[in-house]
Amino acid sequence: MIVSLVLNGRPRDVDVLPSETLLTVLRDRLGIFDAKEGCDEGVCGACTVLLDGRPVSSCLLLAPAVRERRVTTVRGLERGGGLHPLQEAFVRHGAVQCGFCTPGMLLTALAFLERHPGATRAQIRTALEGNLCRCTGYAKILDAVEAYAREEGTGG
Amino acid sequence: MHPFEYAAPATVDDALGLLVEHGAEAKVLAGGQSLVPILNYRLAKPRIVVDINDLPLAAIRVEDGRLTLGALVRHHHLEESADVARHCPVLTEAAGLVGNVRVRSLGTLGGSVAHADPAAELPLALVALGARIGVRSARGRRTIEARGFFTGFLSTALAPDELLTEVEVPVMRGAGSAIEEVARRAGDFALVAALAVVGLDRRGRVETARLAFAGVGPTPARVVAAEEALVGQEPSADRLAHAAALAAEGLDPQSDPFASAAYRRLLARVLARRALTRAVVRAMGVL
Amino acid sequence: MADRPSGQVKPAAADALTVTPALRVVGQPVVRHDARDKVAAATAYAADWAMPGMLHATALRSPHPSARIAKLDTSRAAAMPGVACVLTAKDVPRNTLSTDVPGQTTAVGPLRATLHVLAEGRVRHQGEPVALVAAETLEGARAAAETIEVEYEPLPGVFTAAEALAAGAPRVHEAGNLLAHWRVVRGDLAAGFARAAVIVEGEYETQFVDAAYLEPESGVAWIDSDGVITIRVSTQVIEHFRDVAEVLTVPQNRVRVIGTYLGGGFGGKEDVTVEVYLGLLAMKTGRPVKMVWTRQESLLARAKRHPYRMRYRTGALASGEIVAQQVELLADAGAYAYLSALVLLYSTVTAAGPYRVPAVEVEARVAYTNNPPTSAMRGFGAMQTTFGYESQMERVTRALGLEPVHVRQVNALRRGDTLPVGQVMETHVAVPELARQAWDALGPATPPRAPHVKVGRGLACNLQPYGRIVWLHDWSSAWVGFEMDGSLVVRSGVPDVGGGQASSLCQIAAEVLGVRLESVSVHISDSALTPLAGTTTASRQLYMSGNAVLKAARELREQILGIAAAALDADAGALSLADGAVHAPDGRSLPLPDVLRQCARAGVARSHLAVYHAPAGEPVDLGRGSGKVFPDYTFGAHAVEVEVDTETGMVRVMKYAAAHDVGRAINPQSVEGQIQGGAVQGLGYALMEEVILERGINLTTSFASYLIPSAADVADVAPIVVESGEGLGPFNARGIGEPPIGPPAAAIANAIEAACGARVTRLPITAERVARALGLVEGA
Repeated sequence: MIVSLVLNGRPRDVDVLPSETLLTVLRDRLGIFDAKEGCDEGVCGACTVLLDGRPVSSCLLLAPAVRERRVTTVRGLERGGGLHPLQEAFVRHGAVQCGFCTPGMLLTALAFLERHPGATRAQIRTALEGNLCRCTGYAKILDAVEAYAREEGTGG
Repeated sequence: MHPFEYAAPATVDDALGLLVEHGAEAKVLAGGQSLVPILNYRLAKPRIVVDINDLPLAAIRVEDGRLTLGALVRHHHLEESADVARHCPVLTEAAGLVGNVRVRSLGTLGGSVAHADPAAELPLALVALGARIGVRSARGRRTIEARGFFTGFLSTALAPDELLTEVEVPVMRGAGSAIEEVARRAGDFALVAALAVVGLDRRGRVETARLAFAGVGPTPARVVAAEEALVGQEPSADRLAHAAALAAEGLDPQSDPFASAAYRRLLARVLARRALTRAVVRAMGVL
Repeated sequence: MADRPSGQVKPAAADALTVTPALRVVGQPVVRHDARDKVAAATAYAADWAMPGMLHATALRSPHPSARIAKLDTSRAAAMPGVACVLTAKDVPRNTLSTDVPGQTTAVGPLRATLHVLAEGRVRHQGEPVALVAAETLEGARAAAETIEVEYEPLPGVFTAAEALAAGAPRVHEAGNLLAHWRVVRGDLAAGFARAAVIVEGEYETQFVDAAYLEPESGVAWIDSDGVITIRVSTQVIEHFRDVAEVLTVPQNRVRVIGTYLGGGFGGKEDVTVEVYLGLLAMKTGRPVKMVWTRQESLLARAKRHPYRMRYRTGALASGEIVAQQVELLADAGAYAYLSALVLLYSTVTAAGPYRVPAVEVEARVAYTNNPPTSAMRGFGAMQTTFGYESQMERVTRALGLEPVHVRQVNALRRGDTLPVGQVMETHVAVPELARQAWDALGPATPPRAPHVKVGRGLACNLQPYGRIVWLHDWSSAWVGFEMDGSLVVRSGVPDVGGGQASSLCQIAAEVLGVRLESVSVHISDSALTPLAGTTTASRQLYMSGNAVLKAARELREQILGIAAAALDADAGALSLADGAVHAPDGRSLPLPDVLRQCARAGVARSHLAVYHAPAGEPVDLGRGSGKVFPDYTFGAHAVEVEVDTETGMVRVMKYAAAHDVGRAINPQSVEGQIQGGAVQGLGYALMEEVILERGINLTTSFASYLIPSAADVADVAPIVVESGEGLGPFNARGIGEPPIGPPAAAIANAIEAACGARVTRLPITAERVARALGLVEGA
């Protein structure tokens, strides 16, 4: 079946089986590897994409369910051919080690800050509790998100 | 996952017709947060998946002292709804405890209730509140009381051709509520959760009390004896502790690899006392 | 690629660059090149790869922990549409995989271990692979695997190490269930205990845990030009190309392993995982093949960390000085040896901790069982013993009414002291200052927020070896060279597990050759195209590959400056390399491209391949306690403040400080990241991680049941980076990959006891275990 969706701002038509997930459609049909396969049960967060601006587990979304929806992956964050300021913050603060959790962290953090612009570090920590990281111990990820939130908040 | 046919009916009748046609070989897809992991693990191989997300079942209505929630109300809707916060704040609290943010983006009230995990917060809330669950089939409609709806581990009174369409809870007028839970890790299923709803009369005595638990058996459990022990009494620390102890004695938890029966019983007692205490404080704030 | 010429051993001291104060790139928290790629999701992990005509592979695994395979019929599966091949043991050219010390070229003696690639008539653990299927689609492969008919006849099994060593126990392998035994004896134990003012006995139990990297085992293999079987895989060891070649019975130069940037390793990708299956299937089908393990499969089948039962008897004087330490260790190897003998050796050597103890006896055994195999995991046996010796230190401290930091300081090894195995500590032991700094970093005590909440603090110190045991004659090679325009290339076989392994090499090369970090390009982890660097394990890469790059860069620098000296008519020793030019003291300079052209004309190489040989030694007789086992150690001290809910047993980490002497921090931000990440992984081990097995059946094969810490479960770890300037690595660095994972469990257990008097001796420290230790729960 053909599913039409808007992927990172661009309309796409994809031929899918109903038994595929958005994760496998992105990776195996479209060759977009931004979302990663970590657990197949929605726990780890490595497969996170934004669906109409909300974080979802793409491993749990059956392909037909994304018809007419807006999907955002990490490459949809780029600004003017460069990195999004939150991506820059991650790089600057050492928030990336193996990087496997990073796309999910970025999207979840952005979606959260969109709704809670003045969030504290403690609130950011809670907001990211569904995105597992095995390498960093989370501290530098929180540093990066906090720094970005502060800079965005002050508009600078 | 094993391939299947797929249908996305536009009306409830169409959906019901598919359930009649395929019976146990159909699986209903709402938020997918419980169903799709099972499909990913190849533990279920339905012939057809009936996607009900297009059905008009996502309304939240307040009428005649009752709050009616459509089966497709997402957890984040519950969390964010001003109507729910005003009329039944324990549901707001329960919804915020469900899973992680991604589960709350897509997971539905109806899906959580139909899945009936014994440690889940929303089934617990419905049992505690004495909710009524609206169900439809090609044969007609019926309403099932929450306490009779959950029949066993991951089992409900839903027949294979039935679709859960809405949940009705009484509006909590002047009552305070609280959920206390202990989990092995943040965002994990509760080992044990206790939910208390307490209404006080003008003299500050307990007028209504509800106390229920998740994680202490195959289904959420209300302990009416503990509730009755509180009604008409001053909600003193001693009385609340006594009611909590009574409740814990009235439970029959099982041991599993993650927690022993004795520990679950301990948690039930402690969490019940804490939930009752917080519920009373909130009830006083409402007075 | 140079192998080690026999008889030549270069002591490390001669290669260490003299520490200069004005380092430009090394010592800076530089941005890592891979971080930029990763935030943009531009890094192609092993599963982010597709090739035309690619097949998908899956494995069929035994559901039984101990059974005979009475019947195995793959005919239905092979006949299914879209199935390219189905393999069982009889289809494997040589069905024996070497699983001993990966990547070594010298004999490994008693550490030799093997297993079957696919089960031959017998399975010894749940999850043991029995068959492989490759098909056009992954779903097709899985559906076909389900049609393979296997009849198992369950056999008796053993499921604890103690059970395995009991008389008459069913044998897991022909040779018996005792896999290895190490013993260290030093001094007069009886005399030590006789003069002790207190003797504390403790029994400790640690659990099976999983590496639980976010990226599951994955790879793609294909046949490349000239028949080279090429395997692109997430691995910590590219040298497994040799092991794969042995299984396929092809020459070693016909197998190539391309290691990708890993999504985490932690020791779980040190053994062969998907490589050998991919090689087999690519060879049999002639087509590219992809294999990605599911999380359930990974949790089920990948090797775990060894669980230990430890008995400690510690005698101390009233001053707090430990005078006798008697240790019994019993570990569970699971069904296959893998690296168990080596892990046990690490435990044996570290069993008494970073302390001077005049009388020590360590008896260490590891036994086969029908549990999942256990193998390498971050900490590698030195982690479990930290829980033992630091729990004991706390108990001794409390029994004597002394103070935790003081007791560590009294007992800490000093330079010149001898470890129980007879190794003399040659470098600074920072334990006294680390303990003080970590403890003080907790700041003022947090007041309990409610009457039922108790707050307490705990300390734990550790030592973790870095670098391979010396009798393995470890080496690493690296190539550094200039392009004609002055840009620099580094080639090293080093696998990058996410800790900045590749980036550190760029820093070192840039520092020595006076170029900007941005002008360095690095190629890593390709067994055909990059000089072999050995495994990314054992906290050895910065030490080994860092020194190899340092050596190559220094020698290249000399070559370049030699030519420049002639061109500038100056003394080579007075020249400097900076900003893409060679500078003379009188202010004249030559741009690097000019110098490089002169090199070309003079026939002088613009590149250099170097081999760094670690100081080598011969095997030590541990029983006589004589000799050097590891090149060096990294020391650490962690302090934690916890809150205990004394009504439920729930523990919450409030504050955490982790101090390590890293010698020198090549990239301070990366060092902090290792400390924070390792400590949190240690917190998971301490509080929530457990592979739960019931008679060999794994009950925790999903991330819903096998729990790793989330951001909400931990406090920020305050990293305290101490630079003693002493270490065997480049610029005197020490290894930091593993050390931070050791202390958390004991620190937490100690803090809980300090808070509420409950001593938990079994990991993980769940709320229920605390509740039981508090006497809140009795019965089942």
